[in-house]
Amino acid sequence: MKVVLSVEGVSLAFGGVKALQDVSFDVAEHEIRAIIGPNGAGKSSMLNVLNGVYHPQKGTIRFRERVFQDMSPRRAAELGIARTFQNIALFKGMTVLDNIMAGRNLKMRCNFLQQALWLGAAKREELEHRRAVEEIIDFLEIQHVRRTPVGRLPYGLQKRVELGRALAAEPTLLLLDEPMAGMNVEEKQDMCRFILDVNDHYGTTIVLIEHDMGVVMDISSRVVVLDYGRKIADGSPDEVRSDPKVIDAYLGVAHA
Amino acid sequence: MGESIEKLDTFPKLLMHHARVRPSSPAIREKDLGIWQTWSWAEFAAEVRAIACALAELGLKRGEHFALVGDNRPRLYATMAAVQCLGAIPVPLYQDAIAAEMAFPISNAGIALAFAEDQEQVDKLLEIAPQCPTLARIVYDDPRGMRHYRHDNLIAYDELLAKGRERLAARPSFVDEEIAKGTGGDTAAMFFTSGTTGVPKGVVHTHASLIGPSRTAAELEGLGPDDVILAYLPPAWIGQNIFSCAQAYVAGYCICCPESAETVMNDMREIAPTYYFAPPRVLENLLTAVSIRMEDASRAKRWLYRYFMGVAQRVGGAILDGKRVAPLDRLLYFLGNFFVYAPLRNVLGMSRVKVGYTAGEAIGPDLFRFYRSIGINLKQLYGSTETAVFVCIQPDGQVKPDTVGTAVPGVELRFTPQRELVVRSAGLFREYYKNPQATAQVKDGEGWFHTGDAGYFDADGHVKIIDRVKDVGSLADGTLFAPKYLENKLKFFPYIREAVCFGHGRDKVCAFVNIDPEAVGNWAEKRHMPYSGYTDLASRPEVYALVRECIEKVNADLANEPEIANSQIHRFLILHKELDADDGELTRTRKVRRGFIGEKYAPLVAALYEGRDTVHVEAQVKYEDGRTGTYSADLKIEDARTFAPAAAQRAA
Amino acid sequence: MSDLSFFLEVLAGGLLAGVMYALVALGFVLIYKASGVFNFAQGSMVFFAALTLVSLLERDWNFWLALAVTLVVMVVLGMLIERLVLRPLVNQPQITLLMATIGLTFVLEGLSQLAWGSQPHGLELGIPDVPIEWLSMRWNINISQFDLFAAAVAGVLVAVLALLFQKTRIGRALRAVADDHQAALAVGIPLQHIWALVWAVAGFVALVAGVMWGVRNGVQYALTFTALKALPVLILGGFESILGAIVGGLIIGASEKLAEVYLGPYVGGGIESWFAYVVALLFLLVRPEGLFGEKHIDRV
Repeated sequence: MKVVLSVEGVSLAFGGVKALQDVSFDVAEHEIRAIIGPNGAGKSSMLNVLNGVYHPQKGTIRFRERVFQDMSPRRAAELGIARTFQNIALFKGMTVLDNIMAGRNLKMRCNFLQQALWLGAAKREELEHRRAVEEIIDFLEIQHVRRTPVGRLPYGLQKRVELGRALAAEPTLLLLDEPMAGMNVEEKQDMCRFILDVNDHYGTTIVLIEHDMGVVMDISSRVVVLDYGRKIADGSPDEVRSDPKVIDAYLGVAHA
Repeated sequence: MGESIEKLDTFPKLLMHHARVRPSSPAIREKDLGIWQTWSWAEFAAEVRAIACALAELGLKRGEHFALVGDNRPRLYATMAAVQCLGAIPVPLYQDAIAAEMAFPISNAGIALAFAEDQEQVDKLLEIAPQCPTLARIVYDDPRGMRHYRHDNLIAYDELLAKGRERLAARPSFVDEEIAKGTGGDTAAMFFTSGTTGVPKGVVHTHASLIGPSRTAAELEGLGPDDVILAYLPPAWIGQNIFSCAQAYVAGYCICCPESAETVMNDMREIAPTYYFAPPRVLENLLTAVSIRMEDASRAKRWLYRYFMGVAQRVGGAILDGKRVAPLDRLLYFLGNFFVYAPLRNVLGMSRVKVGYTAGEAIGPDLFRFYRSIGINLKQLYGSTETAVFVCIQPDGQVKPDTVGTAVPGVELRFTPQRELVVRSAGLFREYYKNPQATAQVKDGEGWFHTGDAGYFDADGHVKIIDRVKDVGSLADGTLFAPKYLENKLKFFPYIREAVCFGHGRDKVCAFVNIDPEAVGNWAEKRHMPYSGYTDLASRPEVYALVRECIEKVNADLANEPEIANSQIHRFLILHKELDADDGELTRTRKVRRGFIGEKYAPLVAALYEGRDTVHVEAQVKYEDGRTGTYSADLKIEDARTFAPAAAQRAA
Repeated sequence: MSDLSFFLEVLAGGLLAGVMYALVALGFVLIYKASGVFNFAQGSMVFFAALTLVSLLERDWNFWLALAVTLVVMVVLGMLIERLVLRPLVNQPQITLLMATIGLTFVLEGLSQLAWGSQPHGLELGIPDVPIEWLSMRWNINISQFDLFAAAVAGVLVAVLALLFQKTRIGRALRAVADDHQAALAVGIPLQHIWALVWAVAGFVALVAGVMWGVRNGVQYALTFTALKALPVLILGGFESILGAIVGGLIIGASEKLAEVYLGPYVGGGIESWFAYVVALLFLLVRPEGLFGEKHIDRV
């Protein structure tokens, strides 16, 4: 098992609020790793730390054997970490195609002038990117809405477009923030299928956070459980499901 | 080269002919990764040759059957042609069928080799493999998701193609030799009828029976190599095969495969086909999509649309039929064409359509007129799998919404005394595969095919189909009673959801009606008429008046048709509940089960014929929240005005 | 002079004046599109640009050198405004940002007058503001050479901006930033660079507008009021559309001139100064998002 990402003793506090306390876990290459926990457990904070939005006060994070330093969302994107958001952050006024194309922003090399004048190299580059984007559109089965402004799409499709945009960056690590939130059963099944397909087809390592234990447990290889900012369990879905601490956390046993 | 295309008697010969005569013209297009990819006739033929070689190596022999499951894709069509090159018989199966439904055709035809479009179809075939011991190898096209399949009976299309090319290089003349062995009398393809009743039957067609009618119809409509069609209906349906395969091979036109089922409307706009087919259901959905869009449009646009659609309704059909129209109307239509019809045709992707067909079920006259009025030459067609589609076509200039036109050249038609339409033509199928009994039931000694459809010739000699023979009855006075025909006429009104007509063996026709809750609900809201639910709405006198108006329009129509003028609806009631498949009143495909309903509601039927004004009903009703309750009330029965038959009027 | 050629002359004059309005409106559109800020200070940036250029020229600088230096000044000014005023206010409510730009207006006006004095200047580009001869000879229509020049400059400017927005990665990034900040960050678009760029471009556009208006009306404090004329243009064309700024400018320019000439006599003249606002007001009632503005779709 090759470790892609390791989180060691990370603590994060906002003023007096301790969002994360001494959390450690690792993510192996090609696995689907879930972080679950009740509301306010620190899942989103953890994701934001991995994405470079928050900077932990303590602990180290290694990504592909390099220590995270001066992280920012842009830096994370450059390193090959892409993410989606719980409440969909898409360019609502832009088409599906443009949205996914925007995901390739960091891959574009031609300079401003070449692009403005649509010179050979820029043209070639644009076509190359377009092809990559079309493959993603095909993969996610959203050809029929290619030219539709994202804001007009139903929720489930928007989530899929957001996944597409993250994929466009060809990430090695994909962070999914509650990918199934607010979906109906059918949309959830579709999403699960796409997550598994992405993992299988592109070989992308996936870290996803999810509020409830439901469907994620079926698709994850290993699960971290957070509660009140602390890690309370870590293991295979079956181990985690039968862990009394996890059951307590989910059933809301009073914390002393 | 001097070969005459009329003499070519098999599809592979036609294909190779086009590859020689127009090598660089487009044969087939597919939208892939957002771009239309084109295969010229030469490229297509080269691929077919290679695949044929590879299939021969896999052991496909003359006379054997080969299953194809998938959407319209160039590779599916190439494989189909390759199978035919070897003298084997392609059997296209419905791609949306569940696995169990595929087991019968495959085991029935002893199929050893199959083509599957993608993982989904492969999974289905693998699922039924235990029931189909003959099935040995599956060729799959799209490798997505197939990486982890370790079955050694799977082979990727790309691999097949590569092997085929090698073998073709080693024996370049092999395919041509095989093609030369074929004749028009060989079986060209087998289509399984979906078999809503009993087991499916394999309809066997020869090259001659498919090419003959295809050629006649193509000549009739003037189709040629410059035409374009969008292949979007299931390849397993014979119509799809005729329009996107047989006729394309005969006329040499280009077929285009849409990107996916959801993008059809968009692809249609990009391709702008010149030749088009759509069942009424598709035409209805398109119109709905347009109407919804118009509701969102600005007020000025809505006004323009409404105004000019009015003009089109008045004179559009007549203009298309080349009839005389007042100069002012012609001018208005011209303006309308500029502002509304042309943009509308463009949105529908029909701006270049020379001829469009619709068939399969009765089409509502308003829907039909809508398309014709905006200048699209939509025509009705009659035929079936057994007749290779073309039996009747509406001739240009003589298009009526309620007939299917006249016989296609070379087709003999007559009605039996039982009013059944029987057909004899070059396009008739040879037999039902391995089912001589069923064949004998529909094809008599003189070669007449019994369609099972009842109808008659109207005053202009057009064929009018009214119902299935088995459902047609007669009134007490012996005149024709075709309940489905009446019910369809009623259902074309948006306010009427379902109708059940009674009259067999009785002195007059009476009907049950189900209103359309949505359409009538909107109608009621516009009139500020409060109501508490379906049952309440259905009992309103205003709603009765609305329905009566519809029925009287139907009666007025019927009065003009001497054959069924006696079937005017005298009395009706609006049912207190919606007919429901869960209660056994409808089939799963939403056809009314007339007999069952007649028994279940016997007291209501009796009340209709006894001349009473009300009838008491007591019924268990299930509310939307799952509770059940008892409904008890008096249903009103009303009379509808009937009209003296037109013939009688004229005589008087 | 025939009625028709008179009408055409008025119309052409109006359209060309409209181009001038559009030039100012463009500056607003750029910044609004990228950051959702209504930059009230655009007018004073126009003034600042014109004043800087004219003051340098009056110190006997070579024209091109002066133009280049002013350009640098304006670009730097734009970036400084972004860095010092707007960046610290990220994520503040709209009204705060608007107030900040209003404050900025006064700072800029004070600053420019402090640096260059407050007396009016004339600006001359060597293109005479006289009717084109053959037009007036042949068709009896008087159209100023300078107006035509201004229109050409505006045309080139719009073409360059359109190219920037539609064809380049920066353009796509710009549209992305305008649409959703968080999403833009997630795909690695550096928000601040984009904003700085937009402000720099806005500075450049202000310079072009300042030069044109300066030649036309002289460089004086009243130039800051051009911003007020841009307002009806924006309402008409939509705050987010470059094309809208152009079309809006043309409509406003033409309609106010035509109204002045044809309606003016009935109401005692002087319509020109307020007619644009009436048009804008009427338009607000019919189509609040503007001709080319994006209708915001809210999913319920």
